[in-house]
Amino acid sequence: MYGFEALYFNVDGGYLEAIVRGYRAGLLTAADYNNLCQCESLDDVKMHLAATDYGPYLANEPSPLHTTTIVEKCTQKLVDDYNHMLTQATEPLSTFLEYISYGHMIDNVVLIVTGTLHERDVHELLEKCHPLGMFDSIATLAVAQNLRELYRLVLVDTPLAPYFSECISSEDLDDMNIEIMRNTLYKAYLEDFYRFCQKLGGATATIMCDLLAFEADRRAVDITINSIGTELTRDDRRKLYSNFGLLYPYGHEELAVCDDFDQVRGTMDKYPPYQSIFAKLSFGESQMLDKAFYEEEVKRLCQAFEQQFHYAVFFAYIRLREQETRNLMWISECVAQNQKSRIHDGIVLIF
Amino acid sequence: MSGSGQRLNVVPTITTMGVVKARLVGATKGHQLLKKKSDALTMQFRQILKKIVQAKEEMGEIMKASAFALTEAKYTAGDNIKYIVFENVDTAIIKVRARQENVAGVKLPKFEHFSEAGETKNDLTGLARGGQQIQLCKSAFVKAVEILVELASLQTSFLTLDEAIKTTNRRVNALENVVKPRLENTIQYIKGELDELEREEFFRLKKVQAYKKKEVEKQIAKNKLLLEEESRKDAGHKVDRDGIIGEQEDEDILF
Repeated sequence: MYGFEALYFNVDGGYLEAIVRGYRAGLLTAADYNNLCQCESLDDVKMHLAATDYGPYLANEPSPLHTTTIVEKCTQKLVDDYNHMLTQATEPLSTFLEYISYGHMIDNVVLIVTGTLHERDVHELLEKCHPLGMFDSIATLAVAQNLRELYRLVLVDTPLAPYFSECISSEDLDDMNIEIMRNTLYKAYLEDFYRFCQKLGGATATIMCDLLAFEADRRAVDITINSIGTELTRDDRRKLYSNFGLLYPYGHEELAVCDDFDQVRGTMDKYPPYQSIFAKLSFGESQMLDKAFYEEEVKRLCQAFEQQFHYAVFFAYIRLREQETRNLMWISECVAQNQKSRIHDGIVLIF
Repeated sequence: MSGSGQRLNVVPTITTMGVVKARLVGATKGHQLLKKKSDALTMQFRQILKKIVQAKEEMGEIMKASAFALTEAKYTAGDNIKYIVFENVDTAIIKVRARQENVAGVKLPKFEHFSEAGETKNDLTGLARGGQQIQLCKSAFVKAVEILVELASLQTSFLTLDEAIKTTNRRVNALENVVKPRLENTIQYIKGELDELEREEFFRLKKVQAYKKKEVEKQIAKNKLLLEEESRKDAGHKVDRDGIIGEQEDEDILF
C-alpha cells in the first residue's frame, strides 16, 4: 500500500498532517447537524455554532444575522486554515496546496474579466471574488482590453498562465462565451493537477488521481446535462471534458451525443460507481443529481483520511470544509425562509 | 343639511327663474349621471381589490418559491454564482410597458410585461455545476417578476380609481347637498318674491282703486253738495235768483 515515502513523510509533512487531522476533527458531525436542523432562527444557529470551530468567527456578529454573514465567516475560517497550512508547508506540499486554490483563482479571473467587459468597477468586483483564489496582481486584470494583453500583462505572472496559453488562442475576449472559457481553463487545470499528483507518486497519486478522476467525470456529466438544449455543439461539449477519469475516452464519446437525461443515465449505467448514483434518482428526474454527486464526493473525500502519509488529506479537508459551508448555507437559508420541510434535502452529512 | 337656506344672489324675475329652473334640471341630470359613474367605478374598484388580494396571496407563494430556488442554485453552483449571473447581463429581457384603460371616463394605467428577444449569455452559466438549478431559479424569478408587474398594475389602478371615486362622490354629494338645494331655494325665493310682488301690485291696485273710488265719491259728494246747495238756493232764494237776474239787469242799467 505505502511506498517508501512513508519513511520520510513526517520530516516535512508530519506536522501539517497532524494539523489537518486536527482540523478534520473540528468538522460538524451528524449530531451537530441534528441540532442545527432544530433551530428556529438564525440566532439559534449562531448559538449552536458557538460551540464549534466557527464560534470565534461568529462571536462578534451583531444580532440581526444574515445567511451571507454566516457563509462569509465559514469561508473566512476555511481561508484562515488554508493560509496557516500554506505558510507552514514546504515543497512539494506548498505547490500541492496552491494547486487546490487554482480552481477558485480561475473563477475569480473569469469574474473580473467578465466584469471588465461590462465596465464595472474593479474594486467592486474584487469584493465579490472568492478569498481562496486571490493573488497579488488580480486587481490589474481590469487594465487588459483583450485576451492577448490580459495574458501578456497579468496572467503570465500567475500560475494560471499555462492554462491560458494552451487552451485559448488569441481571439478577442468577446468572441468566446465566458462560460466556455471558464470550463476550458478548468479542464486544463484538472489535467495539470492530475499530472502533478502522478508526479508526486505514492499514496498521494493513488488517492488524488481517484478523487480528481471523480471530479472530472462529475464535470463531464454535469456539462452534458446542463448543455442539453443550449446552443453548445457536440464538438464543443466534447472539448470541455477532461482527458482522464473513468469515463475517458469511451464514456466521453457517448456523453457527447446525449440529447436528454435518460440517455445520460443509459451511458452512466455502464460504469458501476456511477450507476449506483443514478440508481438513487427516479427516471427523468435530474434535480437531485447534484446532491447525489456531492454525497459520493464526500464519501470519497472521507476515505482519503483512512490512509496516512499522503497529501490528499489536505485536498479532502478543504473540499469537506466547502461542503460544510454549503450545508450551513442551506440550513440557515431554510431556517431564514421558513422552509423547514426541505432542510434535510440539502445536507450532506460528512461523518 | 348644509346649503339649506342658501340661495343664489339673483334678481327675482320670471326670466331668472326660467334660467335657474333650467340649471336645476341640468344639476339633477348631472347628479344622476355621476351617481351612475360612481357606481360603475365602485364596482370596478371592488373587482380590482379582489384581484389584488388574489395576486398578493399568489405573490407570497411565488416569492417564497423563487427565494428558495435561489438557495438551491447557490447550494449547487456556489455562493458566487449570483455575481457571475450579474456580470453576464447586458440589458433587461423583461420590460414593462404602460398603457391606459378607460373605465367610465377614468384613465387607469395598466402595466404589462413583455420579454424582449435578446440573447442571454446566462444559458451556459453553471455549466459544470448547477446549471439546471440556475435555469429553474431564472424561471421562478421570471414568474415572480410577472406577478409583481401585475400587482403593480393593479395597485396603481387601485390608487387612481380610489382617487377618481373620491372625486366623483364629492361631486355627487356636492350636487345633491349643495347645488340642488341652493337652486331649489333660489326658485323658492324667486317664487316667493314674485308672489310678494303680485300681492303688492294687487294691494297697490286696490289702493289705487280705493283712492279712485274715494275721489269719485268725494266728487260725487261735492257735486251733491253743490247740487243740494243749488237746490236749496233755488228753493230759498227764488227771489234772489230773480234779484240776481234783476241785478244783472241792474248792472246793465248801471252801464
